[in-house]
Amino acid sequence: MIILVLLIATALAFDFTNGFHDTGNAMATSIATGALKPKTAVLLAGILNLVGAFLSVEVAVTVTTSVLKVQDSKTGHLLSGIDASMGLTIIFSGLIGGILWNLLTWLFGIPSSSSHALFGGLIGAGIAALGLSGVNWPGVLSKVIIPAFASPFIAGLIAAAGTWLVYRITRRVAKKRREEGFRWGQIITASLVALAHGTGDAQKTMGVIALALITTGHLTGDVKKDGLPFWIIFSCALAIGLGTYIGGWRVIRTLGKGLVEIESPQGFAAEASSAVVILSSSAAGMALSTTQVATGSILGSGVGKPGAQVRWAVAGRMAVAWLVTLPAAALVGALSYWLSYGLKSVTDSQLVGDGVIFLILVGLSGFMYWRAQQQKVDSTNVNADWDDSTNSVVPAEERKAKEAKPTASV
Amino acid sequence: MTYVEAILKVLVIGLILGAGLPAVFAVGLVAFSKGSGGDGDGAVVAPNPALKALGLLIFALVAAVVVIAILYITKTTIIHHFGFNPVPFIP
Repeated sequence: MIILVLLIATALAFDFTNGFHDTGNAMATSIATGALKPKTAVLLAGILNLVGAFLSVEVAVTVTTSVLKVQDSKTGHLLSGIDASMGLTIIFSGLIGGILWNLLTWLFGIPSSSSHALFGGLIGAGIAALGLSGVNWPGVLSKVIIPAFASPFIAGLIAAAGTWLVYRITRRVAKKRREEGFRWGQIITASLVALAHGTGDAQKTMGVIALALITTGHLTGDVKKDGLPFWIIFSCALAIGLGTYIGGWRVIRTLGKGLVEIESPQGFAAEASSAVVILSSSAAGMALSTTQVATGSILGSGVGKPGAQVRWAVAGRMAVAWLVTLPAAALVGALSYWLSYGLKSVTDSQLVGDGVIFLILVGLSGFMYWRAQQQKVDSTNVNADWDDSTNSVVPAEERKAKEAKPTASV
Repeated sequence: MTYVEAILKVLVIGLILGAGLPAVFAVGLVAFSKGSGGDGDGAVVAPNPALKALGLLIFALVAAVVVIAILYITKTTIIHHFGFNPVPFIP
């Protein structure tokens, strides 16, 4: 029971990291152009994510069945041969993989996919527990990997087209009017992305919690038909809303300032493209990473505007992080599982096994948070000039101010 | 549907709505700006109410599409809670 509570807390923690990691997808462009003040933007995004999470009634069982073979895909019940203890540890380890990768990329200000972090963690834990057959490889390929490669390009193409059209059509409008008009447009499209994010991403955590409850027998019956208990939906919605509000400033800064120096027509076109791609692909049954779509759109808007500057070095660093996300999170997930399993075998106590990996999670998370606070990026310096010499997410002034007290730089 | 089909579908809808809607919005902005008179930098140009109204109309059109899109996404939820399909004209 304690483990279940720890697990649910960890799942909500993942949801929280998902929130602040993805705030930038909707709001970075609006913050960078001044269409919205930083704190207003994250408040708006937080509320919309909260609302969005309630709006989707589709049961999230499919999230975990897409990558793992531990559930019956029709009812959501655990397959025979997997006991509750193993199931819980798999989920726990998967979440740990996801959270730690999310925090690491956040520390470096790299926009990376929370979805892939979670999937990676689960895949790693699944392989550690059940071997390669524990993973739904066709599902992983068609629902995670292929969309992952395709979506940034699709989003980029659409945003480039949109940006080019928008600049061409308004070429004779006075610059001031154009900026103002598109700022309003930005607020609308950014809100759409935040809403879309809420409807899609909170589902992941709901699916994981549902799986955990099915595993321990607390949730019976046909989850697909009856839907999820309200408290699961509510707590996940709240977690993602709060996470979004906290703001992930480091990621926002990279998206809004680090990739492209953005003007409001570009921001408008980028968010419009993101919103449409996210929504139409979930309608087509392809779950996408909102981060990869948003980043693709922002890059596309940079390409689409004649004379715009794109920092390909930053983009390249990000692409590497994306390729590494699944394997890295998988590795952490697998390691967590093995550690827990090892401790469980030695001490014959699941509490010790899962408890220790939980403590390690808390310790590492605390450490990364502390490191971030050493060279802080928040609402006051999120729009500071980008440091082109190091391409670090930390603004040059902040870095110099902390130079007196040497901590290894991020 | 195969993933190639799904990707193509997203691309086409994406181009139409994701690039098309911003373009329509931009046209609306041009009309509204021309209709408001002056060019924002202080030059004196007579306002054109008809053009301004056209601009506003186009903005309203874009807003309507956005609202319909939201209703479409939340279609299942609305049907679940309220029992009717808010966008019966979309397949």
